[in-house]
Amino acid sequence: MTHPQPHTVAWRGALAAIGLLASLGVARAQPAPVPPPPLAAELAERRIEVTTAFTGGEILVFGATERLIGERGDEIVVLATGPLTSMVVREKIQVLGFWINGPTARFNRIPAYWALAGTRAVEEMLAADERGEQRLGLDLIPLPQLGARGPQFRDALRELKQRDGLWVDQAAPVEVSGGRLFHARLPVPSTVTTGTYRVQVMLVRAGRVAARQELQLDVVRVGTAAQIADVARNQPMLYGLACVVLAALAGWLGSVLFRRS
Amino acid sequence: MQVYLPIAEMSVDALLLLGIGFGVGWLSGLFGVGGGFLLTPLLILIGIPSAVAVGSGANQTLGASVSGLIAQWRRGNVDVRMGSVLLVGGFVGSFAGVQLFAFLRRAGQVDLAVAIFYVVVLGTVGALMVRESVGAILRRKGSRPARLHEHFWIHGLPLKMRFRKSRLYISVIPPLLVGFFIGLLSAVMGVGGGFMLVPAMIYLLGMPTSIVIGTSLFQVVFVTANVTFLQAVQIGSVDIVLTMLLLAGGVAGAQFGAAMGGKLRGEETRALLGVLVLAVAGALLWDLLRVPGELFVIGPAP
Repeated sequence: MTHPQPHTVAWRGALAAIGLLASLGVARAQPAPVPPPPLAAELAERRIEVTTAFTGGEILVFGATERLIGERGDEIVVLATGPLTSMVVREKIQVLGFWINGPTARFNRIPAYWALAGTRAVEEMLAADERGEQRLGLDLIPLPQLGARGPQFRDALRELKQRDGLWVDQAAPVEVSGGRLFHARLPVPSTVTTGTYRVQVMLVRAGRVAARQELQLDVVRVGTAAQIADVARNQPMLYGLACVVLAALAGWLGSVLFRRS
Repeated sequence: MQVYLPIAEMSVDALLLLGIGFGVGWLSGLFGVGGGFLLTPLLILIGIPSAVAVGSGANQTLGASVSGLIAQWRRGNVDVRMGSVLLVGGFVGSFAGVQLFAFLRRAGQVDLAVAIFYVVVLGTVGALMVRESVGAILRRKGSRPARLHEHFWIHGLPLKMRFRKSRLYISVIPPLLVGFFIGLLSAVMGVGGGFMLVPAMIYLLGMPTSIVIGTSLFQVVFVTANVTFLQAVQIGSVDIVLTMLLLAGGVAGAQFGAAMGGKLRGEETRALLGVLVLAVAGALLWDLLRVPGELFVIGPAP
């Protein structure tokens, strides 16, 4: 597996970048005392490429704070959200002994991907009203429900999205090294939706968000997978014809190759 | 080795798909059927969405049947006239089937409909096959000859047409209806329908067995081509990567199966196939009846 390699390289590059940033900051601080930013964050990669060999990846966020990170000092919360989609949740009911799809609730404009991580449990870190205002919690994602009523649909949506790895509620904490450097790895499954993702890095002081930085990354399909999906979506007639011709050719060719006479 | 399927939008083990293709191809070569009725349920079982399983299943059946059609055509075993009449019905039927499929998808009942179609059709066909072949095996022991060609109400219908190769002079209505029905099943179940078409041609239309296989392949190839095209355009559920992996395994498996198939006797083969068909129907029925592990399902909004 070559999987961890790009990340290790990216991570080393990231550390080098932080070092450079820090030295620049020191160099500039001497002639004119500009206060350093309380928070600086960056993404290891601005692009996640979905190829035919894609089995999932991760969003690696890293950065540094001005003050020490700890329970009484600064704390970090990272929130990543994917593009908005519409989902339906169906409840299975028993009709004449058969289990069929019954009442359906529709949720419009919900994040296709959502991941939260903090240096410690976000519920303990933030005051309840602040947490509600910033919507930092799985239970605080706005889920406008159409169709069938009842809280069980929302609960099922949250649970199934989490099971698919598309909504990640503090699966791993934000790691701190050297007191001021932090990094978080947010897992991205292979079923991830393409589009633009927002990553918010927030600095928490005394239960309030004191500073924030917003970053963006793109999840894009590349290579053969991208081309196939594009043609299928934009030129379905051509794609349909191609499927017919390719299958026929492959079937014919295969029978010639594998003929056992 | 994981491979990302661009239309199903998920990663699946490529070796698993090749293996499924090989296994189904082997069985289809052994029994001389397309194997779509085994393939689509297996794909659903490993987690491919029903719509993609049906669309790609039809596409794979097309590829798997092409070489058979070419071989039969060279031997002159295709009644083009009968095949064309069947095909007219087949095109209308598959068009209607894709519309039905699109409607079921909007209603969120594709999974249920596909499962019920499989249980009913496979249950019926499997039971008939087992009964017929067991009867034939018993008759062979008692050596009571069966009648070769029977006349019944079908031969009294209007719009008669002469099918020289089939040595038939019958109304076009029965073949049109048979074609329509198979086309409908092909669109909803992602199969070629050969396992139903062949008995229908022998027992309902009274065609000679020598040209039944070739003519049914003629219908299967063109109807699955139509289903593939319509599913790709209207539902957007044909995954060419999935199709190609299944075909690669399937074409290889079919050659080995066919080599073994020559050693089995006709009635025993049909009885075995009938049992296999019944087993698939039973598994799908069990899936509908047992308490689901998950009482809620999520999916993209239609």
